[in-house]
Amino acid sequence: MNKIGLFYSFNSNKTKKIAESISEGFDSDVIESINAETVTEEQFLAFENLILGVPTWFDGELPTYWDEFGPAIEDMNLKGKKIALFGLGNQVDYPENFQDALGIIAQLFESSGAIIVGLTSTKGYTFESSKAVRNNQFLGLAIDFETQATKNKERVKAWIEQLKKEFE
Amino acid sequence: MYNNKLFSIKHTDKEVLRKWLHIMTLGRALDDRAPNYLRQAIGWSYHAPYAGHDGIQLAIGQIFDRNTDHLFPYYRDMLTSLSAGLTAEEIILNGISKATDVAGGGRHMSNHFAKPEWNIHSVSSATGNHTLHAVGVGRGMNRYKHIGVSISSQGESSVSEGYVYEAINGASNEKLPVIFVFQDNGYGISVPKKDQTANRKVVNNFSGFKNLKIFYCNGKDVFDSMNVMTEAKQWVVENQMPALVQANCVRIHSHSNSDKHELYRDEAERGYVADNDPLAKYRRLLTRYNRLSPEELQDIDKQVKDEVKDAHRKALAAPNPDPNSIFDFVSPEPYISTKYPNGTHNQQGEPKKLIEAINETLKAEFRHNPDTFLWGQDIANKDKGGIFNVSKGMQKEFGIERVFNAPIAEDYILGTANGMSRFNKKIRIVAEGAEFADYFWPAMEQFVECTHDYWRSNGKFVPNITVRLASGGYIGGGLYHSQNIEGALATLPGVRIVYPSFADDAAGLLRTSLRSPGFTLFCEPKALYNSVQAITSVPIDYEVPFGKALVRIEGTDLTVITYGNTTHMCIEAANKLKQENGNSIEVIDLRSLIPLDKETIIASIKKTGKALIVHEDKVFAGFGAEIAAIIANEAFEYLDAPVKRVGSTFTPVGFNRILEAAILPNTNKIEVAMIEVLKY
Repeated sequence: MNKIGLFYSFNSNKTKKIAESISEGFDSDVIESINAETVTEEQFLAFENLILGVPTWFDGELPTYWDEFGPAIEDMNLKGKKIALFGLGNQVDYPENFQDALGIIAQLFESSGAIIVGLTSTKGYTFESSKAVRNNQFLGLAIDFETQATKNKERVKAWIEQLKKEFE
Repeated sequence: MYNNKLFSIKHTDKEVLRKWLHIMTLGRALDDRAPNYLRQAIGWSYHAPYAGHDGIQLAIGQIFDRNTDHLFPYYRDMLTSLSAGLTAEEIILNGISKATDVAGGGRHMSNHFAKPEWNIHSVSSATGNHTLHAVGVGRGMNRYKHIGVSISSQGESSVSEGYVYEAINGASNEKLPVIFVFQDNGYGISVPKKDQTANRKVVNNFSGFKNLKIFYCNGKDVFDSMNVMTEAKQWVVENQMPALVQANCVRIHSHSNSDKHELYRDEAERGYVADNDPLAKYRRLLTRYNRLSPEELQDIDKQVKDEVKDAHRKALAAPNPDPNSIFDFVSPEPYISTKYPNGTHNQQGEPKKLIEAINETLKAEFRHNPDTFLWGQDIANKDKGGIFNVSKGMQKEFGIERVFNAPIAEDYILGTANGMSRFNKKIRIVAEGAEFADYFWPAMEQFVECTHDYWRSNGKFVPNITVRLASGGYIGGGLYHSQNIEGALATLPGVRIVYPSFADDAAGLLRTSLRSPGFTLFCEPKALYNSVQAITSVPIDYEVPFGKALVRIEGTDLTVITYGNTTHMCIEAANKLKQENGNSIEVIDLRSLIPLDKETIIASIKKTGKALIVHEDKVFAGFGAEIAAIIANEAFEYLDAPVKRVGSTFTPVGFNRILEAAILPNTNKIEVAMIEVLKY
């Protein structure tokens, strides 16, 4: 397996917790954590397999650190790279935009040639609409700390197993 | 998503990026500095900080073109105003309420930025109130084939206001070039969005409306805001339909300096929103993508510092408003009649009913002035012209563009009249305020606006509107078809109120009203529309000046002051007492309540020594109370008797005719009161 770059905000709280759980699921020599807040194009392009922490902010926005990297992503050639996304959202209080950031960034990566892997079922979630949903699947792992925190562990675990296969 | 847009960090011209940064930095310097003025007791006691709305406010100001567009900024729109062209000095002059404040010479509250000569309008503090004005301007653009947009900017909580619904419904139905921008920071003062409306994206409340397009943008992001506002404006101009823009913002500080967000937002939330500072983001983008160097950023910071210091110095030295100026611009100078300076005539002209006089005067004035418009509920459908057919035939003659039905939304009727007045000074609007005066109350907040505008803008804007209201009782109409509301409305400075009793005065006052700048309430005694008593000859060009009462009967024993329906009763009672007892009773028909002809009243009392005030409205707190007080103040030494009043009881008007008769004044009640006063 190619080395995985795990990109997330080191200053976050919940995103960081999930990222750390994911990191623990892989052998330490196959995964490297990088702070998304200061990410450079060079760091990004160094990996073929990437995992990104993309929480949904406000009413369906990308976090600023990803949004600010957006113009760079758009001009990168990401052909052949496999990108897995995990998102954080609140399906009860923000049902109109649950996990929108996953969908926004997935589209951006796809337009630069990347393949989005790690899609998961929408079963077990209740919300009104989401940009992250395609063919009844989320374009990544959907975490809801606020209303389904008890499911985090099993969801993360299953996703890691899935990624191990999809990153091969 | 980023780089192929009209505006992007990678491709937008460096000088444009620099200009934006300059405006945004300047705005923030002023926004951060504003509370200091209050701390130092200089002023700016109301400041609603905009920090967190930077992207959308920059964009609104940038897409606004003062040569073609109209802008209605709300009280948080400091950066919008700067971006639209106001200077730092002008912002501070408004903040500390100086005489040279371009928004209104220190009359309106601080943080209410405007520059009427650039079509950056002075707006109310009532949230979203100006949406109706923006729609009215849109109607003006539509009628005069003007290419431009009318931009209404407001917070998201304003969607809870009924008049915002009315504005959007109307703009959608009339297909008007209006952009409604909702700057959504999640709070109405301390009230979270969930307590306002169920949709988190508040514009989705209007997703079922036809003929409009909804746009969404990140109001914290300069590029997204610029792109969306540019697209929205282009769409509105091309399609001649309204657009709604939902701009998601954060409110970094409290609502205003009278609010403390620490009381309802925890530290985590306050930190979270501060981390999303749009200005910081823009600066990061500029350096990250090597568009401006850190040194260039510092240069701008320095420039702004100097600029603010200079503006501050100049604003502090500016003159304060003159307390002697408070009576300036309450109401504009009216049209002066040269032919009928006293509002009297020599009985030439055909006899007309009051309703005919109004109808024919409206038609004559619409022929005379092509910039006249009439709208209201139920006023134009084939042969029907209003509930009482007062506007009969007008749509047929002047067309649907000038004479048209309004939705059943009284506030919309008046608010859009106010707005359309802003499009062009030459426009004169006749608004049939409601089917009956009783239904006018929903328009009250726009009525207040109309009374405020001239004074608030320091004489720069006055709505040129005549509001016609079918008023009063005696038709067995009950609680909702009998009200007289002139007494309540007379408490608001800035409106003229006229109330004719005869056909000639109705024609003359209406003509004067339509030829005058300003805001006039024209009360029509509906019981007299077809009454034989109100028939008079009406000269074809008759004019009655405001504030000229008419002595209907001369007398020496008692002065009766009246107007409207009761004028006829007073005349009848006076004639009866003259015949029966030889009493000489003077009857004064006021015709205008505001301005009030005090001279005629006082001169009469000097002669008679006795005063009786009669009107149909309630005695308690009715307009007669004001007249009685004036007499007590200014004619006490001439009085030989207490000032008496006759009017309605302090009850609603009952539907059953027996109740109505018990409540409303009549000739007999007036006669009894006359006799009582005459006994002194």
